[in-house]
Amino acid sequence: MNNSWRQTRILWKVKRRHFTKSVLLLLGICGAAPFLSGCWDRTEITDLAIVTAAAIDKKDSNQIELSVQVFIPSSISSGGGQGGTSQEGGGVTTLVRSEKGSNISDALSKLQSKLPRKIFWGHCKVFVFGEKLAKEGIQEQLDFLLRHPQPREKANMYVSKGKAKPILESLPPLENYSGEVLRELSDLHIGMLVTLQDLDEMLTGKPQAAALPVVKILPPGKGQKKLQGIPYIVGTAVLKKDKMTGTMTEKETRGLLWLRDEMESYTVTFQPKGVKGEISLNPVTAQVKIIPQIINEKWKVLVKVKTEGAVIQNGTNLNLSSPKSLKAAERAYQKDIEKRIEMAFLHTQDKKADILGLGKDFYRKYPKQFNQIENHWNDIFAKMEVEIDVVAHIRRQGYINKPAGLSENEVKDK
Amino acid sequence: MIRNVGKLLRKTKEKKSLIQNDYQDSKPADELDVSFSQNVETLRSVYDNCSDVMFRSFLLFGKTRAMLIYIAGLSDIEAIEQYVLSPLMQEASKEPQPLNEFIEHKMPVPKVVKVNMLADCIESISSGNPILLYEGESDGFSLGLSKWEKRAIEEPVAEGGVRGSREGFIESLEVNTSQLRRIIKSPALKIQSMKIGTLTRTNVSIAYIDGLVDKSLIEEITTRLERIKIDGILESEYIEEMIEDNPFSPFPQIMSTERPDVACSSLLEGRAVILVEGTPFTLIAPISFFSLIQSQEDYAQRFMAGTFIRWLRYFFMGLSLLLPSLYVAILTFHHEAVPTALLLSVAASRESVPFPAIVEALAMEITFEALREAGVRLPKQVGSAVSIVGALVIGQASVQAGLVSAPMVIVVAITGIASFMMPRYIAGITFRMLRFPMMLLAGTLGLLGIMMGIIAIVIHLCSLRSFGVPYLAPLAPLKGKELKDVLWRAPWWMMDTRPSFTGDSNVYRQAPEQGPNPKRGSETE
Repeated sequence: MNNSWRQTRILWKVKRRHFTKSVLLLLGICGAAPFLSGCWDRTEITDLAIVTAAAIDKKDSNQIELSVQVFIPSSISSGGGQGGTSQEGGGVTTLVRSEKGSNISDALSKLQSKLPRKIFWGHCKVFVFGEKLAKEGIQEQLDFLLRHPQPREKANMYVSKGKAKPILESLPPLENYSGEVLRELSDLHIGMLVTLQDLDEMLTGKPQAAALPVVKILPPGKGQKKLQGIPYIVGTAVLKKDKMTGTMTEKETRGLLWLRDEMESYTVTFQPKGVKGEISLNPVTAQVKIIPQIINEKWKVLVKVKTEGAVIQNGTNLNLSSPKSLKAAERAYQKDIEKRIEMAFLHTQDKKADILGLGKDFYRKYPKQFNQIENHWNDIFAKMEVEIDVVAHIRRQGYINKPAGLSENEVKDK
Repeated sequence: MIRNVGKLLRKTKEKKSLIQNDYQDSKPADELDVSFSQNVETLRSVYDNCSDVMFRSFLLFGKTRAMLIYIAGLSDIEAIEQYVLSPLMQEASKEPQPLNEFIEHKMPVPKVVKVNMLADCIESISSGNPILLYEGESDGFSLGLSKWEKRAIEEPVAEGGVRGSREGFIESLEVNTSQLRRIIKSPALKIQSMKIGTLTRTNVSIAYIDGLVDKSLIEEITTRLERIKIDGILESEYIEEMIEDNPFSPFPQIMSTERPDVACSSLLEGRAVILVEGTPFTLIAPISFFSLIQSQEDYAQRFMAGTFIRWLRYFFMGLSLLLPSLYVAILTFHHEAVPTALLLSVAASRESVPFPAIVEALAMEITFEALREAGVRLPKQVGSAVSIVGALVIGQASVQAGLVSAPMVIVVAITGIASFMMPRYIAGITFRMLRFPMMLLAGTLGLLGIMMGIIAIVIHLCSLRSFGVPYLAPLAPLKGKELKDVLWRAPWWMMDTRPSFTGDSNVYRQAPEQGPNPKRGSETE
């Protein structure tokens, strides 16, 4: 009885053959397409030399030296198995290779011949310029970093004291590699944090001045190996146009951070009037507003600071829970911040470089006036008056009210 | 060639009548003969070489020749003896008049049907109802005494749950329909049945609630079922594949369930349920994509928990489709897209792996699928061996040997678990299958390829229909009110409307504003 089913089947076959053929052809073409066109930029992770930090130094006779810190993957894994990470005691997790060239791309092409894997910039978050190079100008090198698709615009930029290469060569005991040390330090916001994008904005913006953190190697402690010193941030380099013109110390840098509203973690220590000892505070909040003003053709800047702090140490005999002593302490706190900011402002004026970006603020508020003086903005900046208005409050006193270790009589309540 | 096709087409037109005759052949169309012995002879020849068919001849009230025909094992022998043979084999003096009326109305048998077609006789015998023939009567009597061995109602194996009914469908159609009827007692629950399969003559029933279901849906299902010409139906999947809207889709457009409560909830939403004899899996149509991701358990626990689990399921559904491909794409094309620390540790673990990421991923995924399949088919006693081999060999040894990187094992494991989170096994398989083309795309074109794959899948989903209902309903086309069962599992007092796509004749399923609140407390007094 199934004989007739078979007959219809034969008929269908003929009807479908053409359709099936075209579908198969279409599928074949579509299926082959990804395999023929794809894969051209496929790179296995094992074929990459992951650059974790790079340093650019000036060499003699118009040459630069590019050094890259490359991560060694096999260093943190013993090939699977027990999953033991052999990084105790600061095992070597990176290697540093350097090569000379007329510019970065030239040096890079030569460097590639020294590395069996393809250099990959995508995770390079630290760029260090040597002092000498910074003084002669970084514009040319900056162009490569911004133009090449791989380097991140969020990478941190630094200037080293002396040569930059040793920064990469140091083997920090706590972190995996020195680039990571610098990045973590910057994230603490103790010094300045300048990314590639920030640097570009600062240099192309109206003020045409930039600031970069300066790094230096902390000498290794006793009994540590020679390379075990870590790089740390010692201050700020001031760049006019793209050339480094001077440096600011750590203390000045902190004032600078206040002005740039980048203060995050700091400790203010001050002495209230008429008492012995000092009080230390940590900020809870800090808001800084910079208001440019032109009054009677006089250029002036008003810095408004609103901050609240928490006491972390009280070395005086003041009982801060009494409003009177609190007021006194707050006044001293206020004075101290005022002093810091003023000092930082004077120092930047000394350098004749508007690394605060005040030019931008003025341009936004008074575009016409600014355009007239744009050419000698630095002179105007250097002579500008500053008015600082600080509102500082102490909000928290920690776990104890009265100073520790003092008897009732010794504490000054009023 | 075109001419040939035309010729063949013309030929089939001639053959068409022949084809139709084929089905008639298997079912003799003759009426029963007037002669008793002729009828017995015909039946004997039909059931030639069928040792399980019993021909019990006896004398009706001591004088009339009679024959009882039944199949051993399908009919209740005790009942035949007690209620048929013993009253009919009494002495001649007690013979009632007329005889056929006695048989039809006075015999203590649940169901007696007069049959006069040979085909109906055969049908009756095959389904376990004995046929009584006797001399002088041209009709036969089909006695409703079928009884055969069946499995007890058990917990559904493929769709477990913590809370909710523990009953599952079984292989017997009668028991299954009775389970539906036990839940929905209203006579509005209609159950139409038909037989499909030239040899198996499988009973297939369409259940629906009159007044809720779209009449045209039932018509459509019936016509599609009637179109099936096949020798046998052994599982509801046979039917599913023959009546679904797009046969070349990896996504099921008809849902199967072995839970009566799931079937009933579908009935209450205005869907139709197709029950097939011989399998505990019943079919539900029409469905949408989201029906596959909803589980009975969502409705059997607090709505917040239900919503949470539903979102968890959506998330892991995405993972089960995309995780390995994302891993491969990022590792081969987009190294900058992962955090540095992660990239470094992945780079470290991949250092000794000899294969490219795509090969590694494909190999591991295929191995995982093999392990899963082996686990399903194996007898339970051997099952543990598979899991040991899987965990030790695949999980540990391959990493230790440096053939596979540890992150890859984690990715495969998470993907595997994610695919098991789908409450419907079939839907899980769909995603597991689609994973492989996605991985190939990721390995060749990176994230771009993955996007292409996703777009292709979404376009396909948008074009799919299940008995005319858009597959992505109510998301596309968007019906804001109906998202109450998709975006979240609304509390029961907010589930006031039925899905409009399955039937809009009776929209509201409950009284409005039943949400419990303090004001309502006194209302009832």
